[in-house]
Amino acid sequence: MSVDHRKAAAAFLADETRADWHDAALWWVRTKRDVMAQSVPEWEALRDTASAIKEHTLSRLDEYLERFERNAIANGIHVHWARDAAEHNAIVHGILARAGARRIVKSKSMLTEECGLNPYLEARGVEVVDTDLGERIVQLRGEAPSHIVMPAIHLRKEEVGETFHEHLDTPAGLANPIALAGAARIHLREKFLAADAALTGANFAIAESGGFVVCTNEGNADLGMAIAPLHIASIGIEKVIPRAADLGVFLRLLARSATGQPVTVYSSHIHGAEPGRAVHVVLVDNGRSTQLGREDFWRSLKCIRCGACMNTCPIYRRSGGHSYGSTIPGPIGSVLTPGIDLERYASLPFASTLCGSCTAVCPVKIDLDAQLYRWRQRVTSAGYGGRKKTVLATAMARVLERPPLFARGGALARRTLRVLPSRARRALSGAWGQSRDLPEMPRQSFREWYRAERGAHGS
Amino acid sequence: MILLVPSVALFVPCFVDQLNPRAAIAALRVLERLGISADVPDGAVCCGQPPANAGYEHDARRVLTRFADTFSSYDRVVVLSGSCAMHVRSHAEEATVARTTEFCTFLYDEVGLDAVRTLGATLEKRIGLHLGCHGLRGLGLAKPSEIHAPAFNKVRALLETVTGVTFADLDRADECCGFGGTFAVTEPEISSKMGRDRLRDYTSHGAEIIVSTDMSCMLHLGGIARRQGVVVPTMHVAEILAGSAA
Amino acid sequence: MSARESILRAVRDARPAVEALPSAVMRPREVAQSHHELSATFVAAARSAGADVVETGASEIGAVVQAIVADAELGAFICDGVLGVAENGAVWLPLSRLRDRAEAFLADHVVIVLDREAIVADMHEAYARIDPRAEVFGTFMAGPSKTADVEQSLVIGAHGPRRVTVVLRG
Repeated sequence: MSVDHRKAAAAFLADETRADWHDAALWWVRTKRDVMAQSVPEWEALRDTASAIKEHTLSRLDEYLERFERNAIANGIHVHWARDAAEHNAIVHGILARAGARRIVKSKSMLTEECGLNPYLEARGVEVVDTDLGERIVQLRGEAPSHIVMPAIHLRKEEVGETFHEHLDTPAGLANPIALAGAARIHLREKFLAADAALTGANFAIAESGGFVVCTNEGNADLGMAIAPLHIASIGIEKVIPRAADLGVFLRLLARSATGQPVTVYSSHIHGAEPGRAVHVVLVDNGRSTQLGREDFWRSLKCIRCGACMNTCPIYRRSGGHSYGSTIPGPIGSVLTPGIDLERYASLPFASTLCGSCTAVCPVKIDLDAQLYRWRQRVTSAGYGGRKKTVLATAMARVLERPPLFARGGALARRTLRVLPSRARRALSGAWGQSRDLPEMPRQSFREWYRAERGAHGS
Repeated sequence: MILLVPSVALFVPCFVDQLNPRAAIAALRVLERLGISADVPDGAVCCGQPPANAGYEHDARRVLTRFADTFSSYDRVVVLSGSCAMHVRSHAEEATVARTTEFCTFLYDEVGLDAVRTLGATLEKRIGLHLGCHGLRGLGLAKPSEIHAPAFNKVRALLETVTGVTFADLDRADECCGFGGTFAVTEPEISSKMGRDRLRDYTSHGAEIIVSTDMSCMLHLGGIARRQGVVVPTMHVAEILAGSAA
Repeated sequence: MSARESILRAVRDARPAVEALPSAVMRPREVAQSHHELSATFVAAARSAGADVVETGASEIGAVVQAIVADAELGAFICDGVLGVAENGAVWLPLSRLRDRAEAFLADHVVIVLDREAIVADMHEAYARIDPRAEVFGTFMAGPSKTADVEQSLVIGAHGPRRVTVVLRG
């Protein structure tokens, strides 16, 4: 079934107070990002460098993947490869099963969301506890995260309070964020201490050193990794970077872009396992190599999952992450996801005014607005543009190509609309007229005026 | 110093031609008073952006070709819309791109503020300045709020030559108004919500008139204002420079 | 064909034209900062990240740390930082300095002793000095754990330590 972004957005906007609150919360994060960007003199040079490092890496991705594997294995890290979600899930489950691990703590990994890992493991008797606070909240509610960095951004504190009252036995009506976070701390601490294995994602995998980096503010990834004897990191193949020195560039950009902090509280580097423990990496393709081969869209693989594009997108802020119906929402989601299923996600590239703000905040300079435009062409060429729109657009082009026809049609429309009562005008103007009036119809078009005032003009 | 540019044409986009002829008349008059007699050839009414952005680039190509052919004999084509200028400059072939420029860019870069100042317009009003997104981020009309670079705003500089003008300070400097071409009718709820929010940013900061590089944005914001019963005129920069607003 | 071979082949076939790899070392700052300026920047950044910062001379360090520990209701975990990063208030702590990772992250209050002279300007300089591969684990720690996941209200103390004190020595 196709995602109907417009319908979901309209539903989100039906509660305008809530939509305003959601919009303001995300704009606030955008503002904090701006403060950071303005305070780093070399900010634009950093973006250029980060973009160039990523483009280079993607242009030699196979070599860097092999180098990473070689060095990781030398560090005592086990490396696995998964072509798709199904293979990834089977590999992770296999590692857990061999270790007899049944209670897992997981820190934020959009890749594991993408692969549907939680339900897969749960169906096989493995308890998976998402330990990022926002992720835990949505997990208890049975919802998907609505933002890749702030998973519960769509929820009011009262709603979190209700969820915790139901699942963690906090007092009814408790909505104080400090108290709620405190309750989660106690609840999750038990889980950390009892965990057989820790699952994480990775922000960066370093080819030259065979290690990977996990960035968090909460310390949940670190607690999981420090306590459980088994650590499995699911890493998309596009996360590889050449050198440890490159982290200087990326870590200076990541948190500033994501949350407006100079750096996350923890930037943890894993280059092996402590004695008696094991570290596994699962490198996942799941459509990334296909996207890499798309001339118009491969640059979307530069993404470092900061979420800045979502925070700035005026449509995302007013429609919410769930309206995209995809693991990754917002502008980046709208250029990554259509590549997976063009028909299902046909509406996503159109959920945009192409304002370009996303492109301007992206720390790795992905040409998001240009890619959205290109996806639109793919959607209509494939026949998923909708018959009505196709007929309308083709007719529009035909008229716009013929000035005399355009002039006659325009004059007729103006005359008609001028004499109609306002209610009829409103009705006739369709979707435009839902919330907007048409302007006063001028008696003369500019060209009619020009011809009358200046005489007929050929050329 | 008045720049003598041999052959200049003015391109009046489809919606300006039909719905905002005053903006085009003002633009023509501004150019003429600056010593530039611009032609308005009949051959093209559209740059092709609406169908192209709707995903029908293939159909739009013929429209763009017509644009290119119509203006092929001119040295400069001055386009009365930021988003149309950006579309042409992004998709046409080299020669057309080289000759095409947006109206405010032309005045600022090629005519110069000193010459524009000689127009002598006055307007004792607080302006809500609205740069269309494509002109802002696509054509470089001003420094976008996202970017760390020295601040500049060509459109504001042009309007600052008008005596008496002040500017409303906004909460969100350059958030999109929500028009977005066919987006306005394919996602009307978000489009109008964005427009309402943008309008409120202007009116709550005392804007008495909203002035833009793009009449498409103005159609949208103006339409919302009218529906709400909010009286705030929407005009093109040319109309202010021509003294039409006083 | 194994998944590994299949993926590598798919990537090899798909990859775009080669782009050059730029240096990750950003142009050095025109004006080198003095130790005094660097540590002032570090202190401000660390405090901004929610850490307490105590500055003390080398001889008083023992007493200062003891006082902090005595004050810590739920106990304190003490460690020596390798270097501090002025631009963000983070301190590099490899496993050898943490000794017991679990203890470090389970602790309520972490006390990091850092030499004032071990503060560098930014992450580029940090990576020029450390070798992350030298140990199986190392982290940059900037202040106490935190979250804003409940309606964007900042809460200090999420799952990790709720308090961090950096004792700057020298």
